[in-house]
Amino acid sequence: MRERLRFLDTRLLLPMILLVIMGTLTVYSAGRGTTQSSLWLKQTLWNALGFLALAAVAAVNPLRSFRSALPLYILGLLSLAAVLVAGHRIGGAQRWLVVGHLTWQPSELMKWLTLLFVTHRLGTRPLQEVSGWDLMGASTLVFFPMLLVLKQPDLGMAISFLPILLLIPLLKGLKAKWVIAGLLGIGLLGFVSWQKVLKPYQKQRVMTFLDPGADLQGKGYQINQSRIAIGSGGMFGQGFTSGSQTQLNFLPVKTTDFVFSVWAEERGFLGVLLALGLFGSVIMRILDTARVAKTSSETYFCVGAAGIIALHLLVNVGMVIGLLPNKGIVLPFFSAGGSSTLSYFLGLGVVMSVRYRAKMK
Amino acid sequence: MEIQQRSLIQKRIGIMKTVAWFMILWLVLAYARVQLWKGREMQKLALAQAVKTRTTPAPRGLIFDRNANKLVDNRRALHLVIQFEDLPKDNRQLEPLAVALQMDPDQLKRRAVAIRQAAGNRMLVLQDNLDDSAVARAEVLRARFPFLSIEVAPRRVYLGEDLAGHALGYVGEVTPEELARDPGHYQLGEIIGRTGFEAARNDKLKGVDGQRRILVDYLGREVATYGEQEAKPGRSVYLTLDAGLQQTMKEAFGTTQGAGVVLDLRDGGILALYSSPSYDPNVFLNRLTQEQVGKYWDNPDRPMLNRVTQGRYPPGSTFKLLVAIAALEKGIITPATTFTCYGHKNFYGRDFRCDAVHGTLNLVQAIAQSCDIYFYELGARLDIDDIYNTAKKYGLTELTGIDLPHEAVSRVPSREWKQRVKKEKWYAGETISVAIGQGANSLTPIALARFYAMIATHGKLLTPHLLYGVRQENSNDIDLFTPPPPTDTGLSSAIWSTLDEGLYQVVHSGTAKASALPGVTIAGKTGTSQVTSFVDKAHYATLAKKLRDNALFAGYAPRENPQIAFAVVAENAGFGASSAAPIARKLNQYWFIDRLHKPLPPPGAKLPDAFRPEPELAGEDEPQR
Repeated sequence: MRERLRFLDTRLLLPMILLVIMGTLTVYSAGRGTTQSSLWLKQTLWNALGFLALAAVAAVNPLRSFRSALPLYILGLLSLAAVLVAGHRIGGAQRWLVVGHLTWQPSELMKWLTLLFVTHRLGTRPLQEVSGWDLMGASTLVFFPMLLVLKQPDLGMAISFLPILLLIPLLKGLKAKWVIAGLLGIGLLGFVSWQKVLKPYQKQRVMTFLDPGADLQGKGYQINQSRIAIGSGGMFGQGFTSGSQTQLNFLPVKTTDFVFSVWAEERGFLGVLLALGLFGSVIMRILDTARVAKTSSETYFCVGAAGIIALHLLVNVGMVIGLLPNKGIVLPFFSAGGSSTLSYFLGLGVVMSVRYRAKMK
Repeated sequence: MEIQQRSLIQKRIGIMKTVAWFMILWLVLAYARVQLWKGREMQKLALAQAVKTRTTPAPRGLIFDRNANKLVDNRRALHLVIQFEDLPKDNRQLEPLAVALQMDPDQLKRRAVAIRQAAGNRMLVLQDNLDDSAVARAEVLRARFPFLSIEVAPRRVYLGEDLAGHALGYVGEVTPEELARDPGHYQLGEIIGRTGFEAARNDKLKGVDGQRRILVDYLGREVATYGEQEAKPGRSVYLTLDAGLQQTMKEAFGTTQGAGVVLDLRDGGILALYSSPSYDPNVFLNRLTQEQVGKYWDNPDRPMLNRVTQGRYPPGSTFKLLVAIAALEKGIITPATTFTCYGHKNFYGRDFRCDAVHGTLNLVQAIAQSCDIYFYELGARLDIDDIYNTAKKYGLTELTGIDLPHEAVSRVPSREWKQRVKKEKWYAGETISVAIGQGANSLTPIALARFYAMIATHGKLLTPHLLYGVRQENSNDIDLFTPPPPTDTGLSSAIWSTLDEGLYQVVHSGTAKASALPGVTIAGKTGTSQVTSFVDKAHYATLAKKLRDNALFAGYAPRENPQIAFAVVAENAGFGASSAAPIARKLNQYWFIDRLHKPLPPPGAKLPDAFRPEPELAGEDEPQR
């Protein structure tokens, strides 16, 4: 048995399993007494399904995964287009495909498919031959699905495509002129999007971020309640299923975007340290895998995967405490949701397959 | 991959690991700041929004009549409110609410501001006394406006409806003016007595509000109770009123406007007090409709005026007793002195008329026949200040001290009064009019009743009062109210016996002969007073009904052993003997005869109390054995 499952990387799997257990317990606590009281069961099923998918992907040679990158990418684009045409609309956003009882958010998986395709393209070329044009092309491959996602609109999700671009400094290093150009580009993009692209609710979020106290009953309410929840956790937490902010529903969207506030309230600072430590070890293990990977594509993929997870961690955990604007972005392994759970497990399955192949020599 | 490139990539991945650790460190520091540094503060905020202190309004004391018939009850009522802590910080949030409730947004905002500025956590009552459909609507509204809540609060029920409206008064929310006038005495939003007994004894009737510490969820719904300091209900109060006598008086008046009051001669307790037209206090617990404002406040018949304590009427012939006392005390006449009535007489160049040609009369006969000429003669011999001083001595120029708010003071004219008010000197001819109770004389019915109670008690001035006693907090025993001791005016018994005889003769053989009651010797005096002198014939025609004379009857019974004194005024009803005296007769009929045989059912017996259903009358349905 042990021999059979050798393709599973225990040093990546163990913190993942711990995080998933913590997350499901938090979803259970958050859903108690609400309409989401059985959400944790559903999440457990998704997690189980996720592990199966992970094992399946980890067992195959990553090169086979890369080979199907292009058709998968095109399939992903089609699914995003399908969302825009026939997607399910919830609260002004059209992000979901509904088939029977199943709700699927294609953009979650698309992140990983994009990463797979872009790393595949860049990795087939020797490093010194990768030109600026290649990078431009790769960036375009990222921006294209991003735009489709922005159209839904889902700013948080669109932003989570950006870590794929971490590959550029990986390949070319960080040069002052790139940083300046990047900052200018971001500034220009910010200005244009403020004027043209951003919806009023998104502007509201930015304004709320800049001055959370101004609108305590409105949009800032969520962040404010989240900060109160986190703060009242103190060192040791209020105890499992005992956080007043959570149990009395002061905390909004507490099974998805604000699930970490529930954890922080009920488990305290020590719980936060444990969770962040586990997330850190997951990211480190992925980056270590990038180091030992056999091919460039595999290395790039692992760096991108670490980037995606790190970004979600930073934006979600930073958002719930008010460090960053209130974006609808999930926390991997914690937030309830089938599409994201399955996507992360698939992505990490590829990472494991990379390590397994590297170990095989 | 070449070694060199590989090591470059390795180096860059190493940098990324460092960056990732710094990122995590940054998050750790941020959480440390909020959870460890500010943890206490955040816990306080969490508690502050989850644990609320709610005020439980204390029910006011119940009000009973002297026989423990319930006059005023409480029942549970639901109100749509905004709790103090839930008041939106931004008044603009109230605008859509005001629209939804069809209220004036500006007024709602002003009320919110007032509540926010006031001490104590009072709630803002948006709608009171919700019925079932209003509760359903309120629940829907709460989904849109989570700061709303539905509060249970006691509400007054006046069981007798308009039986004793003026005596009981009604309650309402304290006004900003009252708050400003008496700071610290009331709390904002407190329910206080607005008028009548409710206002006069507000301090006895009101309880102490309770406090409840509860756990609420984000919609303000109560999840659990932490601690409760129960509301202390107000003390239940017994009135000196007799509901049956009150009912008799109400029926006796019918649609006749006027006022009547019956005093208990033992201590001045008010057995009945009725002002017609009466009002139903229940109406005033809600915001009045425009139609109701017109009916009650802008009505020329002035139903809101308590005619017993605030209506001032020229006393007419009922005043003659005071003039007789003044003349006897001054020694101008003796009881045996006679004057002759020819139907009219000239005084100071003006012809004064009498109702009839009475011939030669002594004082008792003059009182019995209500001969004006006899009293004109006394008026011609008395100075106005003599009359005033006698009135002062016998309590007609002061407030009676009744425990109802805004009592009007009776007026007996004097030189000083005319100089002060009319800036004119007194003419002796005016004294002639005053001697028969006309002119600038005006007495409240309660003052008149007190004057006749003074005669009945051989000169004791009682303090009329409604408070009989207060029920003890933990038992059904009553702490009896001790009224102020009566003042002895020193009315000489010689004068008293003359007056007593005169008043007896009024009913026995005189003007009120028709109202004599077999078995009960009533002593009393009729009176008829002109409402006003009319300007010209055309004016008289338009206001004829309004300007018809007021009829009065005041006295006591039974003569041998007086127990009650009374005063009845029937407005615009004509001659006192024909309209006021019959009302007084009915009162005596009830009090001395009917009451002992078939007392009237308690007030409001037909009005079911939903929260305290009457127990089934046992035995009523049992088969006859």
